[in-house]
Amino acid sequence: MLDGADDAAASGGLATGAPEGTSPLLALSGIAKEFPGVRALSGVDFDLRRGEVHAVCGENGAGKSTLMKIISGVQAPSAGRIVYKGVERRFASPLEAEAAGIAMIHQELNLVAHLTVAENIFLGREPRRGFLVDRRALRDGARACLDRLGAGIDPDTLVRDLSVAQCQLVEIAKALSLKAELLIMDEPTSSLTEQEARRLFQVIRDLKAAGAGIVYISHRLDEMREIVDRVTVLRDGRHVSTDAFAAVTLDAIVARMVGRALDEKFPERTSVPTGHVILEAAGLTRAGAFRDVSFTLRRGEILGFAGLMGAGRTEVARAIFGADPLEAGSLAIEGRSLTIRDPRDAIAAGIAYLSEDRKAQGLAVKMPVDANLTLANLGAVANRLGLIDAGRHAAAAQGFVDRLEIRTPSLGQPVRLLSGGNQQKIIIGKWLFRDAKVMLFDEPTRGIDVGAKLAIYTIMDRLAARGIGVVLISSELPEILGMTDRVAVFHRGRLVRILDTARTDQEEIMHYASGFGTA
Amino acid sequence: MSAGLNPPVTAARRRLSDRQKDLIQTFAALGSLVALVAAFSLTSGAFLSLGNGMSIGLQVTSIALLGIGATVVIIAGGIDLSVGSVLALAGVVAALCVKELGLPVPLAMLAGIGVGGVCGLVNGLVVTRLKLPPFIATLGMMLIARGLALQLTGARAVSGLGEAFGELGNGALLRLVRVGEDGFPEVLFPGIPYPVLLMAVIALAVAFGLRRSVLGRHVYAVGSNAEAARLSGVAVGRVVTLTYVLSGLLAGLTGCVLMSRLVTAQPNEGVMYELDAIASAVIGGTSLAGGVGTISGTVIGAFVIGILRNGLNMNGVSAFTQQIIIGLVILLTVWIDQLRNRR
Repeated sequence: MLDGADDAAASGGLATGAPEGTSPLLALSGIAKEFPGVRALSGVDFDLRRGEVHAVCGENGAGKSTLMKIISGVQAPSAGRIVYKGVERRFASPLEAEAAGIAMIHQELNLVAHLTVAENIFLGREPRRGFLVDRRALRDGARACLDRLGAGIDPDTLVRDLSVAQCQLVEIAKALSLKAELLIMDEPTSSLTEQEARRLFQVIRDLKAAGAGIVYISHRLDEMREIVDRVTVLRDGRHVSTDAFAAVTLDAIVARMVGRALDEKFPERTSVPTGHVILEAAGLTRAGAFRDVSFTLRRGEILGFAGLMGAGRTEVARAIFGADPLEAGSLAIEGRSLTIRDPRDAIAAGIAYLSEDRKAQGLAVKMPVDANLTLANLGAVANRLGLIDAGRHAAAAQGFVDRLEIRTPSLGQPVRLLSGGNQQKIIIGKWLFRDAKVMLFDEPTRGIDVGAKLAIYTIMDRLAARGIGVVLISSELPEILGMTDRVAVFHRGRLVRILDTARTDQEEIMHYASGFGTA
Repeated sequence: MSAGLNPPVTAARRRLSDRQKDLIQTFAALGSLVALVAAFSLTSGAFLSLGNGMSIGLQVTSIALLGIGATVVIIAGGIDLSVGSVLALAGVVAALCVKELGLPVPLAMLAGIGVGGVCGLVNGLVVTRLKLPPFIATLGMMLIARGLALQLTGARAVSGLGEAFGELGNGALLRLVRVGEDGFPEVLFPGIPYPVLLMAVIALAVAFGLRRSVLGRHVYAVGSNAEAARLSGVAVGRVVTLTYVLSGLLAGLTGCVLMSRLVTAQPNEGVMYELDAIASAVIGGTSLAGGVGTISGTVIGAFVIGILRNGLNMNGVSAFTQQIIIGLVILLTVWIDQLRNRR
C-alpha cells in the first residue's frame, strides 16, 4: 500500500494524463478527527490513485462523511497528513479544495430552489461578459453537462419544479462542470433509476479514463461491481481494510462493516396474504401524473410499486393518502368506499403514507422522539379536554421505542440527531400507534445502512403478518423481489402490469417498466 | 436484530438536547434580568421600591400580553405585525360602545376584545386560505385596523368615559386603604393591579396549554414542519388560524387595559408595540424559524425590555438613547442564541 511519503513529486501531475498507478493523487495518513467528547475518526489511512474509483464503505456513523468532509475542506482534521498531488495540503475551506480540483457531490441536495438548473450548476462561477452574466454560455455549459448524463433536463427549468432524482442529476452535473481531478460521490445513485445509474457509471468510466480519481460512497454494494477498483471499509471511525474490489466478496464487505457476518439481506417472509381485500383502487387518475390506475391490496400482502423515475408511483400513493388531489377514480377500504379530500380523511380510514423524503415530510425534526411518535394520534393519550396525559404519552412512546428497537439516548432527543434508520422507525411507530390498516412505504430504505435496512424489512414483514396491507414503492429491484408478494409495474403514469413476484425477475420488471408491453 | 445493527449515537448524545437549550436560554435571559435589576438598584435609589415595582409591572403587562400572542404565532411559523393597531381599534371600539351605545363597561370591553379576535381571524384566514405570507397579511391588517380606529374616532381621543371604565387598568386586588386621622386616605398595601394579575393568569394558562394540550403540541409541530404535520393528520390551517385569533384576542385585551388606564381611548395608542412583542419573544428564546419557544421566556423577555426602559428613565437616559440600547440588546441576545445553536 502506498503512503504519503513521496513528497518528491512536488509538481504533481499537471493535467489529467494517463493513469499512472504509482504516485497517488491523494494520500491520507493517520487522520483523526475529534468533536467535543466524540472521536469520529482515529488514525485512518486512505489513498486514491489517478484513474481509479475507490469505494468507502461503512455503516452510518462509521466516519465516512467526516472523512469526506476533511478531504473536501469542510472540516479540518485534528491530526494526520493530507498529501494531494504530492504536496502536503490542508484545505481551509471547500472553496480552496475546489480550486485545487476537488469536488464533492453531496448526499443532501444543496440546490437553490428559485434559480434555474443552469444557474445552479454555475452558481458562484457564472460565465461573464463584462459585468453581466453570459446567459448563453451559462445555458450551453449546463446543457453540455446534463447531456453527458443523459438527464434530459431543460437548463432553464427552475430547480423547485424538479423531482428528487432530477435534483440529484443536477448535483452531479454541477460537479462535472468543475472539471475536477478528484471527485467525491456520496450516495450519487440513491434516488436514481437503474437506467440513470447506468448512465452515471458510463460517465464515471469516462472520468476514470481521463485520469480523474473518484471516491465513491454508496449503500448499494451490488452496483459497485460495475465501477469500483478498490474498496476501503471503515467501522467506528477506524480503518478496517482496503482491498482490490475483485478480491473480496460483497458478504465479506458487509461482515467487515457490521463487525460480524450478516447472513441475509432480506428476512424470511413470514406473512401470507389472505384472500381478503383491504384496499381497492379503481381508475385513479390525475392529469399529467397518472391515469386509470387500478389495483387491489390484500390483508397481509406486500405489493411492490416498481418503475422508472417519473412513472407516477409516488404520485399515486400521495393521492391515495389525500396529500395531493385525485381527479377521478374510486377507493374502497374493506369494501367501504371512501372520499378522500385531505390526509385527515385517509388517516381516519386507516391509511398511512411514509414519505420518500423523511426530513421534509415525515418528521417534525426539531421535536423530540416521543412527540413525533404520538403526533398522528395525540387523542389517544389525551383526556376529553384535549390535555395530554404525560404518563400515558411517555408509556406509549417508550412502547414503540422498545418494540421497534429505536436507538435513542432518551425520549426527549430531537429526531434530527438520530440516524436515518432510527428516523424511519419513528415514522413507522407513528403509524402503528394510529393502527393503520394500509401502509404506503415510499423508498423506505433510501440512505439507510445495511443493518438498519434489514431491521426495516423485518418490521415490514411483521406488519404484513399482522394483517396490514403494505405497498412498497422502491427503485431497488432486489428489494422489490426480496420483499413483495406481487409487483405493480408503472410506466409513464400507467400501471402496466401486475406480476407475481415468485414468478418474475429483474429483466421482466424492467421490460415492462421501460415501456414495452404498453399498447 | 440485535445490538450492533445500528450505529452508536454517541455524537448525538454529546450534544445538548433542545430542552436543555431552552432551559439555558431561559436562565440566560433570567440572569440578565437579575443583572439589570442589580445594576439599576445601584445607580438609582428610587429604582428598588414597591411603587416603582408596581409601575414596572404595569408597563410590562402590555408588552407581555402581546408577547404571549406573538410567541404562539411565531412558534407556529408565522408573525403578527398587526397587534399594535389592533389594540388601538379594540380600545376605541370598547370606548365608543360605552360612550355612544351606552353599553355597560364589561360588555363594551368584551366587544373590544371580540374585535381583536375578529382581526386575528381575518389574519388567520388570509394566511391559510388566500395563502399570503404572514408578514404581508398582518402588515395589511396593521394599516386597516389603524385606519379604522382613526376613522371611527375622527382621529380624536375619546374621553369622558366614567370611572368604571378605568377600573380594569387602575384597580387592584387586595388593596388596603385606611382613612388617616388627617382625613386623607393612606395606602397600606397597593394591592396587585388587575392588569398584572391578568397577565400572570394568561401567561400560566397559555404556557400550560402549549405544553400539555393536543392543540399546543400541534402548534409546535406545525412550526417545526408544516408538511410533516399535515401528513400526520394535523389540521394545519385550523391550528395556524387559531394562533392568529389568540394573538388578536390578546391585542384586544391589551387595548382595553391600556385605554382603561388612561380612561381615554386614543386611536394612536400602541404604535410599534408589535415590535416590542416580537422582541420580547425573541429575547426569551423563541426562534423566528418556528417550532421553538416558551411563554416563560417571553415573560422574562418582556421584563427585560420593561426594566431596561424604566431603569434608563430613572437614570435620566433620553428616550432616543433608550431605543438605541434596546436595539443593541435585541441584537446581542439573538446573536448569543445563534452562537449557542451553531455547530
